[in-house]
Amino acid sequence: MDKLKNHVKELLESGEIAGFLGLIDDGGHPVPYLFTKEHLDRLDAMVVPDFRYPMTDILLRIVRKYPEETIGVMVRGCDDRALVELAKNQRIFPELVRPVGIACTKEMAEACRCSQPYPREIHYGEKVEGVNDRSDLAAVESKPLDERLDYWMGQFSKCIKCYGCRNICSMCFCDQCTLEDETLIMTGQSPPEIPIFHLIRAFHMAGRCIDCGLCEEACPAHIPLRSLYRKVREDMADYFGYVTGMDESEKDPLEFLGSEGYEVPSKIDET
Amino acid sequence: MTNSVPELEDADCILITGSNTTSSHPLIASRIMKAKEKGAKVIVIDPRRTHIASLADIHVKQNLGSDVAWINGLMHIILKEGWQNQSFIDERTEGFEEVKKAVEGYTPEKVEEITGIPKETLREIAEIYAKSGASSIVYCMGITQHITGTDNVKSLANLAMLTGQIGRPSTGVNPLRGQNNVQGSTDMAAIPNKYPGYQDVTNEEIRKKFEKAWGGPLSPNVGLTVVEMINAIEEGKLKGLYILGENPLVSDPDSTHVEKALEDVEFLVVQDIFLTETAKKADVVLPGASFAEKDGTYTGTDRRFQKIRKAIEPLGEAKPDWEILCMVGKAMGSKGFDFPSPKEVFDELAELTPIYHGADYDRIEKEVIHWPCKDKDDPGSPYLHKDGFARGKGLFTPIEFKPPAELPDEEYPFQLTTGRLPFHYHTGTMTRVSPSLTHEVNEAYIELHPEDAKALDVKSGGRVRVSSRRGSIEVRVLVTTGINKGVAFIPFHFAEAAANRLTNAAALDPIAKIPEYKVCAIKIEKIDGREA
Amino acid sequence: MEYQTVRTTCTYCGTGCGVLLEVLDGEVVGTLPQKDHPINEGKLCIKGWSAHEFIYADGRLTKPLIRKDGKLVEASWEEAVGLVAKKLLELKEKHGPDSLGCFSSAKCTNEENYLLQKIFRAVIGTNNVDHCARL
Ligand code: SF4
Ligand code: SF4
Ligand code: SF4
Ligand code: SF4
Ligand code: SF4
Repeated sequence: MDKLKNHVKELLESGEIAGFLGLIDDGGHPVPYLFTKEHLDRLDAMVVPDFRYPMTDILLRIVRKYPEETIGVMVRGCDDRALVELAKNQRIFPELVRPVGIACTKEMAEACRCSQPYPREIHYGEKVEGVNDRSDLAAVESKPLDERLDYWMGQFSKCIKCYGCRNICSMCFCDQCTLEDETLIMTGQSPPEIPIFHLIRAFHMAGRCIDCGLCEEACPAHIPLRSLYRKVREDMADYFGYVTGMDESEKDPLEFLGSEGYEVPSKIDET
Repeated sequence: MTNSVPELEDADCILITGSNTTSSHPLIASRIMKAKEKGAKVIVIDPRRTHIASLADIHVKQNLGSDVAWINGLMHIILKEGWQNQSFIDERTEGFEEVKKAVEGYTPEKVEEITGIPKETLREIAEIYAKSGASSIVYCMGITQHITGTDNVKSLANLAMLTGQIGRPSTGVNPLRGQNNVQGSTDMAAIPNKYPGYQDVTNEEIRKKFEKAWGGPLSPNVGLTVVEMINAIEEGKLKGLYILGENPLVSDPDSTHVEKALEDVEFLVVQDIFLTETAKKADVVLPGASFAEKDGTYTGTDRRFQKIRKAIEPLGEAKPDWEILCMVGKAMGSKGFDFPSPKEVFDELAELTPIYHGADYDRIEKEVIHWPCKDKDDPGSPYLHKDGFARGKGLFTPIEFKPPAELPDEEYPFQLTTGRLPFHYHTGTMTRVSPSLTHEVNEAYIELHPEDAKALDVKSGGRVRVSSRRGSIEVRVLVTTGINKGVAFIPFHFAEAAANRLTNAAALDPIAKIPEYKVCAIKIEKIDGREA
Repeated sequence: MEYQTVRTTCTYCGTGCGVLLEVLDGEVVGTLPQKDHPINEGKLCIKGWSAHEFIYADGRLTKPLIRKDGKLVEASWEEAVGLVAKKLLELKEKHGPDSLGCFSSAKCTNEENYLLQKIFRAVIGTNNVDHCARL
């Protein structure tokens, strides 16, 4: 921990970064906080708990106000994958973000069923191997097709339209969100129209979701959203050989869905 | 609530009535969904097919205002079948024989006739509730906002005691409080007959204690309720009124009457963060601060102390409300308002309030404490009545069914009930300036059964005029099978079409003095039947 | 550049969910669910997620107002509080303590509710204290 604090301290003192987005202990509760050179003493209270806040999502709010500054951020494997995707989508400039990497514990990796529980560069914690566990998906897939539909409709019908899944997601950075487009989804209804509300989001997460699981953790209706999006992620890997969050230079094969810069990705040509 | 929110998750049966939990208390609904996933049976008794009702194992729509009848009916069946918890009744309660006698006449057939609940379903509900390991009752305004509100609540308590479903984890009778700090404001004696901590103003010993603490003589007489104060203005008896952070012009029943009173009162002070409809009538308006601009505590619906913390300075010249009140107290020449911060106010009130006694800011910071918490070593009470009831033995109260005060007739053939939406809060002063929320809904509407809509020749999106004996509003129509024929529903958040222009303020529960917001008679006339 | 999150309680319903107000350079820019709160465990409803939105809404009162010639006009704190105190004492003198009353607030804190009832019970001498939350 001291090594980590010293590393952040050096980055701040040297002026390499203008602030470091991490977590601080507030009366026994870890909360997000931007450490700065002006208050280096606060680094004493820096913590790395085993639960997460949406660091890269918060980072975007700060970057929007300070587009020229270099900012450090505490990242786990999933946050680091988010940085890759945010760079691809030109929401951040990688040269203006200094990730400080945390490797997740075995327990966390298992709880997350995480295939890559570590960032590109590790500054804290021991790297453990990824978990290849698709029992959640297998359980749903083992059901006959109509039951599978019933299962998901039953799950979606619990939705209270809190938008928490979108709000907490680093990949939901659109200025105008389709989920609020009243020509597609009727406003003022809770549960929202199903399954359209959830399918729209699932489609948008294809080629975007970096499998952090924050959406599922934030869902008051306990809908297994992570499994749903992981399925979408698997399909992207199967059909397009594309996995999000791995390489900044790789193009999203579905990019034409959202942006104007439509360009047929080479991988589609090959298949 | 007799039990804490997280406990709900481990209940085996949750009986919800008069609470649209997914709308009004979404994060409590979240626990209920979790409980269901863990195998609990969820039963909803509500006149509308609300979201939580659609997720339940059993949902029945009772006739408006028939609650005492179905609760007595459940007890009748439970006693007939011998499903009661006799040892609990014998050891922990009294008055059982009277209740037994009272419910004798509530046969399933008779109850079906009054409530519209099929007798087979009633039996099924009785069996699940009585026989489950831990059954919890959850209710809200749908139970209390009736002339029989107190009766309804007592009946639910009878049911819980009869089956011993109280005084253990994940059981109990759990009212969900509407606004964020209803629990705390009631604890703090924003009621006319008590001092903080539910201590009677009429008890001389208690009064002496407060006279000593506050340094002066206190009134031995019970004061007036909101509705009585409004009436007292009209009678010329009440001359000055101070309204803190409330908008009775929209929230109170029969708002036409309230509006006149607020205009007539000689001196009106309103302390709020917005220039509400009520504040516009004031002689002096004092700008308070939002929850982000001040420190203090709330008490959650499960009696849990919660801190609010100042995140930013008050806007403009606005001030934290506690500070304004101290200024007023001091300006009136009193010495008892010299507080440097809310922490010291809490210390004083905890000193005088036995159920808060053991709490202080440091403890609330570190621990989760539910009152009663009598001293610094007391961890507090997540659930009540563990070893006994406050009065010693739990008292059964025999209750007879009484119909609502205003029944439909030829002139006003529909029954109206009111409630909340998940997207807005109370009178909307905060939510209706919130873009995310107004994006969802920003207009009042009336829910009608398809057959009623057809008879009126209106479709969803059409407009109707809705009138009662007290007033009239215009609203858009939403046709739904989620409501019984002959019944209509209007959410009450919208000042320009305030449902409470229609509701029946004159009909009060005789004890709780809560107006019958949940049932009144209305007529509906088509203005524009077209689809929007 | 200052960013911090302030741990507080959602102001909307009695569930009392834990929220973090995100403060960027002294301005509240967002709300997050508190992950380690015993009630909501990192989840919120739509009202909680937008709990910060009304803070800077148009129409927030920022100055005391006093009615003069039928119109509400801006006034200083001294004037407004002085007038409130003077009128309340005058009415008490003329018509007795029970000619005054207050509606306290289920939206305000315990401390504020305590103080308002203390003004009416201890300084004015009436139990005409109630709240509107029977709704
Ligand atoms: S998703 Fe993976 S990287 Fe992220 S917290 Fe879980 S285990 Fe760690
Ligand atoms: S990706 Fe889709 S769901 Fe997410 S913010 Fe954008 S439009 Fe909304
Ligand atoms: S797991 Fe959920 S929150 Fe994380 S990126 Fe995917 S959709 Fe977004
Ligand atoms: S977080 Fe869950 S309840 Fe909220 S909108 Fe998303 S799916 Fe619905
Ligand atoms: S987040 Fe929703 S459920 Fe929680 S306190 Fe706020 S309004 Fe109530």
